[in-house]
Amino acid sequence: MSGVKVKTNPHAGLPGGRYRWRFHLSALVLVLPFLYAPTFFQEEAFYFGDAGLGARELPEVSVGPWTVRIAEYSAGAPIAQGLAGPMKRFAMRLTPESARSIKASYMKIGKPRSLRAAGVVLSGGPYRQVADVPIPERTRSDDALWLTVEGWDGTVHQAAIPLDEASPATIMWLKQRGETR
Amino acid sequence: MTNRIAWLAAALVAATASPALAHYPYCTCAIEDGKVACKGGFSDGTGAEGVTLDVISYDEQILVPGKFGADSVVRFDKPAGEFYVLFDAGPGQVVEVDWRDIDGLAP
Repeated sequence: MSGVKVKTNPHAGLPGGRYRWRFHLSALVLVLPFLYAPTFFQEEAFYFGDAGLGARELPEVSVGPWTVRIAEYSAGAPIAQGLAGPMKRFAMRLTPESARSIKASYMKIGKPRSLRAAGVVLSGGPYRQVADVPIPERTRSDDALWLTVEGWDGTVHQAAIPLDEASPATIMWLKQRGETR
Repeated sequence: MTNRIAWLAAALVAATASPALAHYPYCTCAIEDGKVACKGGFSDGTGAEGVTLDVISYDEQILVPGKFGADSVVRFDKPAGEFYVLFDAGPGQVVEVDWRDIDGLAP
């Protein structure tokens, strides 16, 4: 049997032995959580509201007897949603007193024609509600974000926030797109 | 070996990718054979069967009350004067189409 040449394992004695790539892969798997941890905790703080209402919080807004705080959820440009067109997400927080008497709130770009056409309803708990507001084709940079708030007593109040205050990123995006017809 | 890693990576991506869950309402109108045809639906592909579509004048009179059928299209004669089309799938689930945004009707 002296003719048989025994192939020596080049990895003998090294970590992982002859399954070296598996060894490296498992090491990578152990390292991954540490690499993603900062991003994970940042996002966690954002989604749970510990990092504030949104990326860009606006000053308090008075709507009739109520006070609310609005934030641009993320600071970027509107996001295209297929046939539904581009959407911009806003977040809103009610004060505890307002939360008791507000039934529903709606957001729309441009002045609503009626309560029925008041726009997108804000959904979520009273201290963090969000709405994806469509940006109509003919939006201009001097338009406003209209907030319509309906109380349990049936009263309706409105507030308009100029779009350049509500979302400068949207204004930038509109300018890039070229002002409409 | 590279192949196996590629498969593992692909499996990981497939397992962590989440599809878009939003279903935004949409409504687009155009002139078809002299009539206004409005197609409605939701961005997740759902049709608009049973959803209300009203044609409302600028002074808030309902000119044409309508409902979407199985084809998610409502057709109506162009009303006189200025109007807008309201796709109404419930409070806060609306789409407004101004008559100036109707293809073929723009001033």
